[in-house]
Amino acid sequence: MLTSDLIRPQLRLQGKNISIAMVNQQDPERQKTASEVIDLFRSHLGRSQEVWEQSLNAYIGARIDYIFVRGLAKVLVDNANFTPVQATYAPTVVRETMFAYGPVFPDSDMLHPVSRDSVLESVAQNLQLAREDVETLLFADRHASYLLTETGPSWTPTMLLARYNLELARGVLYWASHLTIEIADNYKDIWKFIKLFKLMFIAQPLSSGGYRIELDGPISPFVGATLRYGRQMAAFLPALFLCEHWSMHAEVYPPQGRGAMNYQMDHTSNLQSHFKRSGEFDSRLEADFAAEFAAKIGERRGKWRLLRESDLLVLGDTVMVPDFVMVDNRDERRRILVELVGFWHPDYLRRKIEKVRAANCSHLLLLVYKGLNVTEEDFQGVASEVLFFPNKPVLKDVMATVEEMALRIYGPAST
Amino acid sequence: MKASLFFLGGTLVLQGIPDNFKVPAPFQFVHQRWRCEAYHYPLVLSWLQEEKIRNQVPRWQRLKLSLHNPREPHDYQLAALDAWLAADKRGSVVIPTGAGKTFIALHAIKQVNASTLVLVPTVSLLYQWYVVLTNMFQTEIGVYYHAEKHVLPITVTTYHSAGDMLAEHGNEFRLLICDEVHHLPAKTWGEAALMTPAPYRLGLTATYPEDTEQSGERWRLDDLLGPIVYTKRIDSLLGKQLADYRTQRIRVNLNDKERTEYDATYAIYSSYIREQRLRGRHGPHWLQELFRLSAYDPQARQALLARQRIWEIIEGCQEKLVMLEQLLREYAQERILIFTESNTLAYNLSRKYLIPAITHETGVAERKHILEAFQQGHYRALITAKVLNEGIDVPEAKIAIVLGGSSSKREYIQRLGRILRKQELKQAVLFELLARKTIEESKVQRRHVPKGIVDVNE
Repeated sequence: MLTSDLIRPQLRLQGKNISIAMVNQQDPERQKTASEVIDLFRSHLGRSQEVWEQSLNAYIGARIDYIFVRGLAKVLVDNANFTPVQATYAPTVVRETMFAYGPVFPDSDMLHPVSRDSVLESVAQNLQLAREDVETLLFADRHASYLLTETGPSWTPTMLLARYNLELARGVLYWASHLTIEIADNYKDIWKFIKLFKLMFIAQPLSSGGYRIELDGPISPFVGATLRYGRQMAAFLPALFLCEHWSMHAEVYPPQGRGAMNYQMDHTSNLQSHFKRSGEFDSRLEADFAAEFAAKIGERRGKWRLLRESDLLVLGDTVMVPDFVMVDNRDERRRILVELVGFWHPDYLRRKIEKVRAANCSHLLLLVYKGLNVTEEDFQGVASEVLFFPNKPVLKDVMATVEEMALRIYGPAST
Repeated sequence: MKASLFFLGGTLVLQGIPDNFKVPAPFQFVHQRWRCEAYHYPLVLSWLQEEKIRNQVPRWQRLKLSLHNPREPHDYQLAALDAWLAADKRGSVVIPTGAGKTFIALHAIKQVNASTLVLVPTVSLLYQWYVVLTNMFQTEIGVYYHAEKHVLPITVTTYHSAGDMLAEHGNEFRLLICDEVHHLPAKTWGEAALMTPAPYRLGLTATYPEDTEQSGERWRLDDLLGPIVYTKRIDSLLGKQLADYRTQRIRVNLNDKERTEYDATYAIYSSYIREQRLRGRHGPHWLQELFRLSAYDPQARQALLARQRIWEIIEGCQEKLVMLEQLLREYAQERILIFTESNTLAYNLSRKYLIPAITHETGVAERKHILEAFQQGHYRALITAKVLNEGIDVPEAKIAIVLGGSSSKREYIQRLGRILRKQELKQAVLFELLARKTIEESKVQRRHVPKGIVDVNE
């Protein structure tokens, strides 16, 4: 992520609204700069960070867009690897050995009979190294001496500018106290990232479908407008761009003062996430189940439609995103959630059972692999329906149970 | 589900307690659970026991500490410690700078004999505490700040990093010590103190904040740590620790090449500042304004770059370096401290003369090694870039050499004097190297010249 000094000058305040000055990704001038910075960076493969920084400074010279150029450079460096020089001796050891002689001078005199050269010579001999190696090792553990060993993804100028814009967009959140998002898909990824960045949430279903989710941190409700979680919210933001439809609204306290300001964005902003969408299916079992459903029932003869991870169970301070939802084509309000409990580690399983128990959810159908270290007793007192299977779920049985459950919960379907 | 209380990101959360249950005051029902800030922990303990709620909060350890320092505490240090112990190990001790508040803290840690977190305002103080704690308890000490994050049963962190650290590790400490506790009422810094359940708390300061400094948006120390438990007046100690030193200024000339570049660069800088009347229009914020303008106005950008360059020329000019070498040779038998403004110069000099350098890049372990080796005379000289200047204990030295640099440097020159302790009959000397006919010199002349400063004009 960009440092705040690279964000701050680009903040734009207007009334009670705050925005950030993004660059036009198609602007030929910007494209040209991006391309030059990429080339410059790549030409430093195998050279030290210090040399890279000097070259960058030389390139920037007196340019007034220096904050933009530094921002591009930061994006490149963050996605690259600088690694320490391979060393036969720890640099600290080399320093201790060398500094034991200091201060020394280029030439010897009466008070200082040993010159720097002769110190270098004898240390090199003792360590059985060449003199140049001793010089190199002396500060080899400074980051400045690290060598650029990997330049990261194959950036194109457009890619780099897009990523720079994304970094600007999330940077505004460094000063955010509170983030509200509205989403209607991709819950599983969203939850994964909310957890990853240790945020707290309140989720409310929207009448239009989807959820409104308010994000802050554990201490937030007690201290008013804390900025403690700004960095986490900024880190989280790209997860949002994985959704098809989204909007977000944050309360931001810019460093220039002026109190709380509104920061808003939605899916029309064209920001692209660099986060990876999780694979379509978590397991073979899920993929097979979906495939079998499509082949045997599909859209042709279906009373029921199978949707993946499209509903959400909010359980206090956590959520559950069931693998599938069966939606009745005759009446969309008739929904049965389906969760496949496959070949999992016992700990994971225990947590899953706890979650299901907490969900106290009658329209949830659990399909449980019988070879697991679980018995029917483990599901005692669980409000949900449980169906065990030996190898793979039998689709016919599953559909029969779904029909039964729907009848019990929603009554007969109107035809 | 069995009811329990656990620690989460600086808060305490009740699990398995419904919203209609009667819970004591600090708890609020938010985000579907009863929650409160972690520092209320001692308050809710007895209620937990009455209700037989499982307490999963404490993760602190008992330690078996012994003090490895034969130094006997002063009477007032013992009195302060007793007062703190009598106040249920909560509250602040107010004693003058240099009267040994660290020593009181070390004894407090020994008394509690459990995991302890020390909060300090600066990274320099963090290093200092690290050294003192390591030596005193002869055990590995953790540090948590931007460059190193290593949490151990005794850990030192800065107020700045404390929030992040406590969100994760807040329940791993039984004792919280806040050094220079007058900083704690600040909004985000005080927030950090809410985020640990540590029941025992000790604040240390020479200047307890006024009521007005603990009101409004700011936090009250009474709430965060407890009341003042002991105060030692300043006049009873004054005069014992005065250092005896003199400052000697050495003025050098820029060589022809440097002079030409300096004059040209200075002209770019000063003409812009003058023409735009930046100082007149923006007062103390003129530099900030220059930074802002430099993203729009090529001339402002040039002026900003010129400003950076002239300080580089001033700090690293040839004659200063020649003079430095002369002083190094001349005081061959003395312990010498060299102060630079930039890391680059510090490392260049370190490489050239084979003198250890301490910069903000130097980790705690190596820093400790260098300072101790310097103290023992194993290293005769030491270079430091902007890190040993924040009123901390620097090893004794006879000679200090300041290579100059930007104006902020001037402020701590006075402080530096304190580090040069009187030894036997010899006086310590602080050499200040100044480039003639530059902004460095004019800054010095504008400043009030204290007694005892000798100007050497060669």
